[in-house]
Amino acid sequence: MQKDATLDARGLMCPMPIVHLAKKVKELKSGQVLELLADDVGAKEDVPAWCSRTGHQLVGTEAEGKLLKFYIKIR
Amino acid sequence: MKSKELCKMADKLCMVVSEGTFDKAYMPLMMGTTAAAMGSEVHVFYTFFGTALLKKVSKPKLPGMFRLFTGVFQKRMTKVGIPGHDELMKQAMDMGINFYACATTMDLMGVKESDLKPGVKVLGAAAFLKMAGEAKTTLFIG
Repeated sequence: MQKDATLDARGLMCPMPIVHLAKKVKELKSGQVLELLADDVGAKEDVPAWCSRTGHQLVGTEAEGKLLKFYIKIR
Repeated sequence: MKSKELCKMADKLCMVVSEGTFDKAYMPLMMGTTAAAMGSEVHVFYTFFGTALLKKVSKPKLPGMFRLFTGVFQKRMTKVGIPGHDELMKQAMDMGINFYACATTMDLMGVKESDLKPGVKVLGAAAFLKMAGEAKTTLFIG
């Protein structure tokens, strides 16, 4: 999937992927797509919840074994 | 209730922390940083044994016999990206989280205002309850 930036949160556990994610999106412009890599099982539900709360759009998710890839379009 | 007020309510999380052990110390910081990351305004009020966590240097231990394993827990948490207590509290403050020390119990626990981490405010129960009244979620951690 097309992306403008990647945040590698592999190895981090809740709540750190979300905390880093919130910081990262501030560096990006509206309409850009951020790829988030995470292997925390909590992220599966946390990232969609974070997106629905903050208004950023989750445009895609992929799973490769334990690795989760989220594509977030900046509000 | 006016819709504007409802909107204001939805975005505020208040927590009360009455214990100073490792688990009770991390809970509000993990919940709080998550809430702040989700765009909420966060207020954490520390009372009784919780006030010790607001000292410039605080090294909370697990409760009871588990205190012996605090180091192991800490190492595991560092490994998954969760920093030490004081560092995480600093990060939380940088995210805009508000920390308060209960005026009365601070005195009781022998914590002086000059002992507190920079940025921590001393607050009374009435002032905190006013904030909690305006928050949709208030959690008690103790």
